[in-house]
Amino acid sequence: MNRLGLPDAPTTDAAKGALDQFGTYEVFHQKKEGAPFVYVGPVHAPEADVAFLFAKEQYSRRFACTGLWVVPTAAIAVTAYVGDQESAYGTLPLLAKNPAPAPGAADDTAAEEAAYAAGEEDYDIFHLKKRGKAHQHVGKVRASAPAEALQVAKAVFGDQRPVVNVWAVRAADVLRSGDDDRDIWATTPEKKYRDAISYKVQDRIEKFKAEHPATHQPAHGPQT
Amino acid sequence: MDPKLDLLYRLADDQLILGHRNSEWNGLGPILEEDIAFSSMAQDKLGHSLQLYGLLHGLGEAEPDTVAFTRNAPQFHCCQLVELPIGEYDFSLTRHFLFDHAELLRFEALAASSYEPLAQVARKLRGELKYHALHANTWVKRLGTATDEAIERMQAALNFTLPYALGIFETTAAEPEIISSGLFIGEAELKSRWLESIAKVFRQTALEMPDVQTLAPALGGRRGEHTGFLQPLLDEMAEVFRLDPTADW
Amino acid sequence: MYGSASTHDLPTTAATGLENEDPILLAEFEARIARGEKIEPGDWMPGLYRKQLTRMIEQHAHSEIIGSLPEGTWITRAPGFRRKMAQMAKVQDEVGHAQLLYSAAETLGKTREQMLVDLINGKSKYSNVFNYPTPTWADSNVISWLIDAGAIVNQLANAKGSYGPYCRALDRICAEEAFHLKYGHDAVVHLATGTPVQRRMIQAALNRWWPAIMTFFGPSDKMSVHTEILMRWKVKMASNDECRNQFLDMYVPKIWEIGLTVPDEKLAKNEATGQWEFTEPDWEDFKRVINGDGPCNAERLAVRRAAEENGAWVRRALLTPKTQYVRPLA
Repeated sequence: MNRLGLPDAPTTDAAKGALDQFGTYEVFHQKKEGAPFVYVGPVHAPEADVAFLFAKEQYSRRFACTGLWVVPTAAIAVTAYVGDQESAYGTLPLLAKNPAPAPGAADDTAAEEAAYAAGEEDYDIFHLKKRGKAHQHVGKVRASAPAEALQVAKAVFGDQRPVVNVWAVRAADVLRSGDDDRDIWATTPEKKYRDAISYKVQDRIEKFKAEHPATHQPAHGPQT
Repeated sequence: MDPKLDLLYRLADDQLILGHRNSEWNGLGPILEEDIAFSSMAQDKLGHSLQLYGLLHGLGEAEPDTVAFTRNAPQFHCCQLVELPIGEYDFSLTRHFLFDHAELLRFEALAASSYEPLAQVARKLRGELKYHALHANTWVKRLGTATDEAIERMQAALNFTLPYALGIFETTAAEPEIISSGLFIGEAELKSRWLESIAKVFRQTALEMPDVQTLAPALGGRRGEHTGFLQPLLDEMAEVFRLDPTADW
Repeated sequence: MYGSASTHDLPTTAATGLENEDPILLAEFEARIARGEKIEPGDWMPGLYRKQLTRMIEQHAHSEIIGSLPEGTWITRAPGFRRKMAQMAKVQDEVGHAQLLYSAAETLGKTREQMLVDLINGKSKYSNVFNYPTPTWADSNVISWLIDAGAIVNQLANAKGSYGPYCRALDRICAEEAFHLKYGHDAVVHLATGTPVQRRMIQAALNRWWPAIMTFFGPSDKMSVHTEILMRWKVKMASNDECRNQFLDMYVPKIWEIGLTVPDEKLAKNEATGQWEFTEPDWEDFKRVINGDGPCNAERLAVRRAAEENGAWVRRALLTPKTQYVRPLA
């Protein structure tokens, strides 16, 4: 049975324009309250709000979370990848001046305000601790460009080891779920029809075996 | 009929049939990510219908599977809107938008129902319904302001679908008692809130909402009078179930 | 869900292109894999690795999206709420898995547009089992149980492979897959232990599907230079025969314990060797079907093509001047 009432076989090859599937957004989720945001995968979407809806479905339809972030792939600055025992910060070029400390670290709010006024912005920093695992949010730094953000991150987070790879993204480029979005996931744990554990079939099998004893299992199965 | 049964059958049947229709999009959506999203909402609708049939069962009606899979079209109380075939994505999205706005407003009002079991269900489903409306709004706003082609399609879909959507608010003989007993605010009030709610979204697009006063609403569904589409839908839905309704599948 | 590095469609010449690769980079690459570190998208990799992995992951993705069709057609007819909702969730997951796998393949440089076009044009392959029809509800349940079971055998093996993005996708897939297997088994058990009508339906379906199930893991691997390299690079994790034997070991007893039979007189476990013996499948027929001449090939691709074409206006409408594409990161 086919549902579409299909026409005859096509005479020409199908083709797609270059952006038929749009660009991608990288998605991060927070598994539970207080946990760091962790990378889960990309979605294809035309814009951030659509990306958010898609991300919610693709990455939290079966396993609830408490928060979701989406950011355009193009907005993420990436360091080189190093081996599992090294630090990616070691691949960054050396800086002449000392980078600024993380926002909130200093008590000098006036200096902070001045920095923002001068064009610095918050950057979210993510570390990959081991190849094959997923990037995890480690904190924010303040900088006026992605390359600088990585340098500041090196100063602030650089003694964490190992760091296989680092991502930096302008906080303003990240679309984040709000506190009042949490009820979107309220009913997720109740959808038992998708849980393996709610399928308990062993009793049925035992009952059947008891009612249909087979003394020998020939190659093609017992006679019933 | 007991006003509670009257209301619950209408709601449950709407959710079941629309969930069934929207499940026909599985695997066929315009882009993978949207396919996944639309399917979630269809599952939610089926889940809602199951909860409502559960309330009916609590009031003495048969088991949900029996009620859903063994009645025929004249015994269904869904509006005609939900039984129409899925058509193309312009129609299905428009139906999703019009229906889900009404559903969100309906369940917001039902959270204060005098029938506590229904009020509880309504309160629980809030998060899901909020999300369904958000999804619908996102798409209508986008497609309603995009290419000429999209705007034309969505306008045609709106013109076609709106008379059917008005059938959501068809009243039954139980309506006065439904309102006076505090069970629900009533279809007229719901419809007025709905009109305001959808108009707000359409104003953000290039789409024009037809004047509902000039439209002939598609009535009859609430009384068991359906289009020619419902019985074949039910036959298909029950095809395996009816092989042996006493069997455990 | 259906990933297997099928070596039966690899060139049999020894040409690997490795002689053109930088020997130092190649040695570092192989050493990384040998010490158990994953390869990530930013790494240097030999052309053959990139090509083989792209093909394997892409085929896996196509298998998911095409695989959703034979079960998808039963969603509207699933008997009862429990089955209806679970069937929907399962098919939805398959579309979701396709998305995850296309994303993983994209990190290697092939666009999703190109992959979808290659599928529709018949240039890329997918798991051959989906070129067969599902005439009854029980056929759908056989797929949900035994084809998913076969896929899980492959996935668990491949999850230990060398390419980071593929491993991450497979971890996610395996987590969701647990419910598929339980659901499929539950549905089959209900039929097999149910009314005479139900028992007849499931036995007939199993008889129809057994030949396809036996070809699921592909023919015995031709041990070629390619197979050896792909195993060293942890692209191919287990031989087709090993996977098939593991599958038979796990599932034939479960089939028999509910009173079902399989249409192969020879099927039996040789307790001495631990290997299952069976009638060799018709690999010529398999080749014929996978190359386009099966009962459902044309329909499967036609459905995909129609879906893509019907949705084109939507995608066109959503494009903005700012839309740009860069390769996904991980």
